Amino acid sequence: MFSSGVKQRWVAFVFVLPVLVLLLSVSIYPLLRTLGLAFSSLELTVSPVETFIGLDNFAKAFSDARFWNAMGNTLTLVTVGVAIQLVLGTALALLLSEIGFTRVVWLTALLLPVMIAPVVSGFQFRVIYNDTFGPLNYLIKTLSGGLVTGPPWLADTRTALFTIMMTDVWQWTPFMMLLVLAGLESIPLELTEAAEVDGAGYWGTFWRIKLPLLLPVIVIGLLIRVMDTFKTFDLVFLLTGGGPGSSTETIAFYTYLNGFRFFSMGYTAAIAFIQLIIIIVIARVFLVVQKRMRGGGIQ
Amino acid sequence: MFRVKGFFMLLAALALLAVPVLAQEMPTHLGVVDYELCDNFGGVTVTVVGDAGHNLAPYEFWKDDFAAMGINIEIVEVPFADVYQVLKTEFVAGSGAFDVVTFYPSYIGDFAGNGYLLPLDDFIAREPAAVWDPNMDDVLAPFRELYNKWAGQTYALTIDGDVLVLMYRADLFENAEEQAAFQAQYGRELRPPETWDEWLEVAEFFTRPAGATLAGETLTQPFYGTAEFGRRGFSYAWYLNRAASNGVTLFDEQMNTDINSPQAVAALQNMIDTLKFAPPDVLNFGYDELRDAFIGGQLAMVVQWTDVPKKAADPSISQIVGKVGVGRVPGFVVDGEVAHRSMMPVGRVVGIAADSDVPEAAYCVAKHIAYNTSLENVSTSLTGLDPYRTLHLTNPEAFAPLMGLENAQAYLEGLQVALADGYPDLFIPGAAQYQDALDIQVNRALAGETSAQEALDAVAAAWNEITDRLGRDTQVAFWQQALESYRAVGLIR
Repeated sequence: MFSSGVKQRWVAFVFVLPVLVLLLSVSIYPLLRTLGLAFSSLELTVSPVETFIGLDNFAKAFSDARFWNAMGNTLTLVTVGVAIQLVLGTALALLLSEIGFTRVVWLTALLLPVMIAPVVSGFQFRVIYNDTFGPLNYLIKTLSGGLVTGPPWLADTRTALFTIMMTDVWQWTPFMMLLVLAGLESIPLELTEAAEVDGAGYWGTFWRIKLPLLLPVIVIGLLIRVMDTFKTFDLVFLLTGGGPGSSTETIAFYTYLNGFRFFSMGYTAAIAFIQLIIIIVIARVFLVVQKRMRGGGIQ
Repeated sequence: MFRVKGFFMLLAALALLAVPVLAQEMPTHLGVVDYELCDNFGGVTVTVVGDAGHNLAPYEFWKDDFAAMGINIEIVEVPFADVYQVLKTEFVAGSGAFDVVTFYPSYIGDFAGNGYLLPLDDFIAREPAAVWDPNMDDVLAPFRELYNKWAGQTYALTIDGDVLVLMYRADLFENAEEQAAFQAQYGRELRPPETWDEWLEVAEFFTRPAGATLAGETLTQPFYGTAEFGRRGFSYAWYLNRAASNGVTLFDEQMNTDINSPQAVAALQNMIDTLKFAPPDVLNFGYDELRDAFIGGQLAMVVQWTDVPKKAADPSISQIVGKVGVGRVPGFVVDGEVAHRSMMPVGRVVGIAADSDVPEAAYCVAKHIAYNTSLENVSTSLTGLDPYRTLHLTNPEAFAPLMGLENAQAYLEGLQVALADGYPDLFIPGAAQYQDALDIQVNRALAGETSAQEALDAVAAAWNEITDRLGRDTQVAFWQQALESYRAVGLIR
């Protein structure tokens, strides 16, 4: 009845269908629905009725000082926090690459923070940073012989965001370290040996041989961490609740407040879409850079 | 191997030791309330949702009673700050996940108004009364009228009657040395502050560094005059204690706000000034930190929920057992008189989800907790539930094992006074948004990000935007309905 080509296409379609349905129902439909919501007013607090309002939600976002404050805090976490993770992670990876048979012990110990759920590390650090009974301020006071008193880390607008950043750095630097270490392991030994024979010292080899070869891996690591940090929510929720004032409110936390505290679904969808666009742009930039690096090789 | 075995034997021994201790602390029936249990439902499951922690303990206390009614209780615990989010999400989705829902009465307008809750009036009117009647007349008027009703129908039963009270270190206020020093410094008698200006003076007086002397003893740690709920979430309620007493009404009949009036600004400035006499990390103080600082002996006085004196009387967690006085939250002088206002934030009520498959059994569970066993539930330190019925206030004996009869009487009297000063939390639809808009700006002012005036101007703008967005006409109608309830119970004069 059917030619074998048509039959084969049908068979292929039937095999693909479940995945297609799954994708449409859990990914494509919600995405389109959210896009539709972004152009609507849906205030579930008072009514389940959705009204089309055009670009009003986007206009509101661009004139919303709290949105921009949250965006600023998020970008600070992303740029400064991830940069610290990169520098520390690379330094640790270089150290580990020089260690002999005890490396596996150090590696396991250093990877422990990554294995801890962020919610657990949030609670841990809430205790650590506590001004009254936290070990951090106790150590500062003890080690300085009582001369220096640590600040109220989570209760001061000047330190609260930094505190969240440091918790994130503690948790995710090992991830960056692991990526860089894997990159270091994959560098052919003959390249570094040749550099040494040519008289390049440790740092000469690092800057001219290792780092250029590591860059594609580093870019992927940065991309993952930037996207993750952009969504920072759990640490803010647990450590500061967005305060003091609005000093630690991130864009993910602000989106949560609008969606799940105020049930202002249209506005939530609009700011979620703005974030999505920003993330897509960042990811695209990173991927283009990475592609160029792979094409360029060592200069 | 032996070590591992020994370790587990030690754990088992400790567990055996712990069981009698816990069992002793569990409340038993006091026999004050006459009631009968519902007929056996034959093994139905009732799912109860509430904020995680000690306030769900009564379902464990009375599990034998539920078993006698043929009801299996399944508890779903959610974080304190996420109750609204979890319930609203399930209600909107129509999941039917919960039967008995525990929530803060601020949300009754939202939940009842949107049809998520079952009206309880039919259950309440059923016979025999001993089984079905939760004796609503016994519930104190503010809780009954504001916490339980919406548009004239009963949708919820109170299980926790929250109101803020002043508590202070009576031992320090009664100390002769401290009294003399205060008299010398301020030219007046040392007493619990009557006004918010006196509050600042007393807080300043008691704030001392480590090494200084307090009531004849040398301090090893700094001691502070007071602290506030400085963390985001409820700092707005600590502010409204002041604002409401200074004549701020939040909205007029047409929802024009006075939240940025000079009186409102003065109230916020008083709260900002208080931080000078509080622990340095006060801006991260939530309920737990505020409670622990007080019962840990770090503070001279504090405004807190009424369960804290019960915690202060528990020697296993408190360093100030028998040293706590309870009084009126201070006020501002308005028209020559001190106007006291105590905010009534949080509180807990239980309702029946409209999509519950077992509404009768769910009602029996709710009524058992809200009435039959309520005296036992509010008089133990194992819960954070506070009195809300006349029968609670007239039975100090129930609290005596915890804090002694004399202290219990003083505690209940203080509570009665606080309730007379009670000022309700917003409970119209959108309450969470209005509260958050106020909370974040109060918090910004406390953190020094903005001035008191700028902060409250921003609140006024935000509140107008919220009202317009939610629909001004409907919001005004809701607010007028709320004002009527406030007036009916005498909360607004």
